[in-house]
Amino acid sequence: MAVKNESKLRISKYMPYFYAGASLDFNLIHIDREFAQANGLPDIILQGMCTMGLAAKHIIKNDHPSKMKTFKVRFLNPVLPSDELTFLSQQNGDEINVEVKNQKDKRVLKGQAIIK
Amino acid sequence: MSTNNIIGKKYEADYEISFEKIKEFVEVLGDNNPHYIDREFVKSIDGGNPYAPPTFAAVYCQPALKNLYFDPDFSKLVPRLVHGEQEYNFVEPVRAGDLIHTSAEVKEDYTKTNRSGKINRIIELLTTSTNQNDKLVCTATYRLVIRGE
Repeated sequence: MAVKNESKLRISKYMPYFYAGASLDFNLIHIDREFAQANGLPDIILQGMCTMGLAAKHIIKNDHPSKMKTFKVRFLNPVLPSDELTFLSQQNGDEINVEVKNQKDKRVLKGQAIIK
Repeated sequence: MSTNNIIGKKYEADYEISFEKIKEFVEVLGDNNPHYIDREFVKSIDGGNPYAPPTFAAVYCQPALKNLYFDPDFSKLVPRLVHGEQEYNFVEPVRAGDLIHTSAEVKEDYTKTNRSGKINRIIELLTTSTNQNDKLVCTATYRLVIRGE
């Protein structure tokens, strides 16, 4: 029996800066709008690893973190500051499939975790 | 497009896990899981230090990756780099106080045409992280996309 879960989160305007500080990922496409736009992006983009971290939070909730054995994701579209993300997951046995969509219903991440 | 051969480039670095850094990391994610932030709760379940969340691997792998990104053959690619895919295998849990050693190696370098017909360069990195007891804690594959002009 598949167990489904959904949660929503608005990406704050400052999240790429906060995540840069917390993760040490200071790639300029995440923190400098001029640099991001000069390199063909619409705006600064959120670190993919931050979206992945949020997806892992959605999956693990308050459970023991060592239950997560594998987690693989594909980043499909950039996440921009102020985006409204919806996290959808479905569990079948040990396997959890997760998908993250933005407010335009575009998928930004899809992934799969093994939880034991 | 660069034809420099970067396959086989390998960099290593150590990272010591602190409870303060874990708290800072999960605060940004808005993650209140007590295994990360409640020292007394974790002590009461197994007597040990708080846990790092699985994707904290991004933090302890960063010093090794940073060394790679500063490699002259790699640094010029960084402005057009976006993250395509990420895969983690977690083995031994990581906790505050652990000393993690990570090696990051370039495994693959190829081109791929995307949905809109643009040719991107794909670089695959493998990181291997072990703890102070020489136990494997995590392996990760980073599939990075160097966007075509």
